[in-house]
Amino acid sequence: MGASRPEALVLSPSTEEGRRARRFPPWTAPALYLAPMVVLLALFTYWPLIHTVWLSVVKWSLVPGRPSVFVGADNFAAVVASPLFEAAAWNTALYLVASIPLKVILPIPIAVFLWSLGPRGHVYRTVLFLPTLISFVVVSVVVLWLLNPMGGHVPTLLRMVGIAMGNPLTDAHAAIWVVIGLSAWKVMGFHVLIYLAGLASIPRDNIEAMRIDGASDWQVLRDLIWPLLAPTTLFVLISTIIFTLQQTFTPIDILTEGGPQNGTTNLFYLVYQLAMRSFDVGQGAAGTVMLFAGLLVLIWAKFRLLDRRVEYDR
Amino acid sequence: MSLTRRRALALAGGTLATPFLVRPAGAQAKVTLSFLHYQTGAAGQTLRRLLDAFQAANPDVEVRDTFRQSEQITAEIQAAIAARRPVDVAQVIGKNIIFHLNNLPAAQINEDPAANAWLARYLPTFLDLGRVGEKIYAIPHAYGTPQLYINRDLFRQAGLDPAREPRTWDEVIEAAKAIVAKTGRGGVAQLHAANKDYGTMLMVTNAGGTYLARDGMKAMFDSPEGIAAMQLWQDLAVKHKVMPIANDQQWTAAFSAGQLGMYMTSSAALRSFVAAAQGKFDLGVTNYPLFGDRPRRVPNSGAAVMVFAPEGPRRQAAIRLLEFFSRREVANRWSRDTGYMPLSVDPLADPEMAAYAQEFPYVQPSIRQMAETVDTDRWPAFGAIEAQTEISNMVDALWAGRATASELVPRTVARVNDILAKANPVR
Repeated sequence: MGASRPEALVLSPSTEEGRRARRFPPWTAPALYLAPMVVLLALFTYWPLIHTVWLSVVKWSLVPGRPSVFVGADNFAAVVASPLFEAAAWNTALYLVASIPLKVILPIPIAVFLWSLGPRGHVYRTVLFLPTLISFVVVSVVVLWLLNPMGGHVPTLLRMVGIAMGNPLTDAHAAIWVVIGLSAWKVMGFHVLIYLAGLASIPRDNIEAMRIDGASDWQVLRDLIWPLLAPTTLFVLISTIIFTLQQTFTPIDILTEGGPQNGTTNLFYLVYQLAMRSFDVGQGAAGTVMLFAGLLVLIWAKFRLLDRRVEYDR
Repeated sequence: MSLTRRRALALAGGTLATPFLVRPAGAQAKVTLSFLHYQTGAAGQTLRRLLDAFQAANPDVEVRDTFRQSEQITAEIQAAIAARRPVDVAQVIGKNIIFHLNNLPAAQINEDPAANAWLARYLPTFLDLGRVGEKIYAIPHAYGTPQLYINRDLFRQAGLDPAREPRTWDEVIEAAKAIVAKTGRGGVAQLHAANKDYGTMLMVTNAGGTYLARDGMKAMFDSPEGIAAMQLWQDLAVKHKVMPIANDQQWTAAFSAGQLGMYMTSSAALRSFVAAAQGKFDLGVTNYPLFGDRPRRVPNSGAAVMVFAPEGPRRQAAIRLLEFFSRREVANRWSRDTGYMPLSVDPLADPEMAAYAQEFPYVQPSIRQMAETVDTDRWPAFGAIEAQTEISNMVDALWAGRATASELVPRTVARVNDILAKANPVR
């Protein structure tokens, strides 16, 4: 009998509890403890997932009583053949790749700097964290105003110093960087906070010891802080991959609707368009399944490649 | 008799259930209607007031209204029907109406021929959007019509006479050139709406062209009229340099801030522009410009109302609600308080509306334009987003000056038709 087994199940069979224990198998208690969460997960995560997979292989308007026609992989083929798919796939890759330096790497030096300030850094933490609390809708509308070629603050200020600025939101190559920059700025404070939590667990004695041995700031960062921050970095990396496409959705919808020239769309936005604008449930579900599978592969690959190199034991 | 716990519970349960089980003699069962709409702010309050007035006149009906974003209403109806949640009446964006007719259980409003009597209160062309042969599936409701809003102060600063409002596109361009040259502000812009679809449809239709075939399955704007309209849109940005390239939100914000001389958008924007101009600039409103000597033809924007209630008391109550909306005084009140177009035949026959039009002349252009308004073109849903994106990309390319309209438009129309054919195979 394991020491962790609930006491009621290991009492002597001669007692009342013992007789009850004989009626219920030993896994009953843990199963009951887990049941609420398992039921919630099954209802709100796994059942919708299974249902989405089923919807992705049928043609159906969702109206009860109207037949659903099994179409196999047709919905997947239609999504891939969509004239929007290629641009969406490329942009998805760009959103993910560009987010790594901006959302995963850049917050590290900022966090280390704030950490080095000690209690004096608290005000900067607040300032940096503030954008996280503002809704994406509000931020997007403000960006629309700031970049407005007719009286917007940014073009007006640049004009004062002799720089003529076009409208980046109508430039097929520039618009995506507005969306990337906006989503990076929005999550910067949150990621800095996560790194600060990671840094808080690094013993300052170790740093002092390195300094006594003559290590420079750079050496401390490279040889001590960076390796010990690796688990935090992996967490931030994974969450960046998972959430970047969601974080870009609202800015895309408000600022560009995926344009200009498909310059800002991505697979997440394409799925929304198929399901909510074209009302094609099958293609929307197929796009969702493809996105889910793609992210799953990406996360699995990251774990395979990076998790082994991360040192969790401090 | 002692009051045991079981008896006490039974007594409490019975007391609580009484109001639900016992109906006073002669009382009718109350019908509850679910109404999905996208009206918010003042328009949402106006709608609620109208629904309250309907309820007061029909005490056996309660209407519960629910707000959703305009582009999400169709998906919401779909989800509600799938989940067997009630959705009885809904405002539906005009261009999506084919999807509702083909895929959702939309009710025929004139199934009872008696309905034709009150449907005749509407301008006949306004019923075309929801008409399939003799059957009517939608009534006009939140209809907008495009009109030209003018910053009269910028006109004066540019040396123009604000009393002489531009009537044609040529006059618009001349005025816009003067505004840009003399004030340094933006000259003119036109609403394009989601995927630049409405703006393109508007320019093509007003130039005398056909945007889409009646069934929505074929783009047809590669006609000489359509190409001329698209060339004009390019010229505004590239040749005359009077249209700052931006999006609807930026143009709307710029016009509201007094940074843009002229802006063409829906009559539904009237209230917000009147409020924005207050104390800031002198606002003018006139009709959408003519394309040369062609008669004005402008598609409506906005939404119709459809019924999805199942047969029985809910559908009957829903039809009664639509009949209430069709009454001239109700339609006029809706128009006055929201800026949407009046919908009835001869709205000024209502003395209250006539007095209002005198007192608030900004509404006169939309009343004048009623007879020149045609129903908005309808997309077939499947493939529409890809097709509209092709059109949006074409307009972006035109504004960027990558090619002329005669080069870009035929290519785009061919691609749109290919997309629609693949997405809607003939079975």
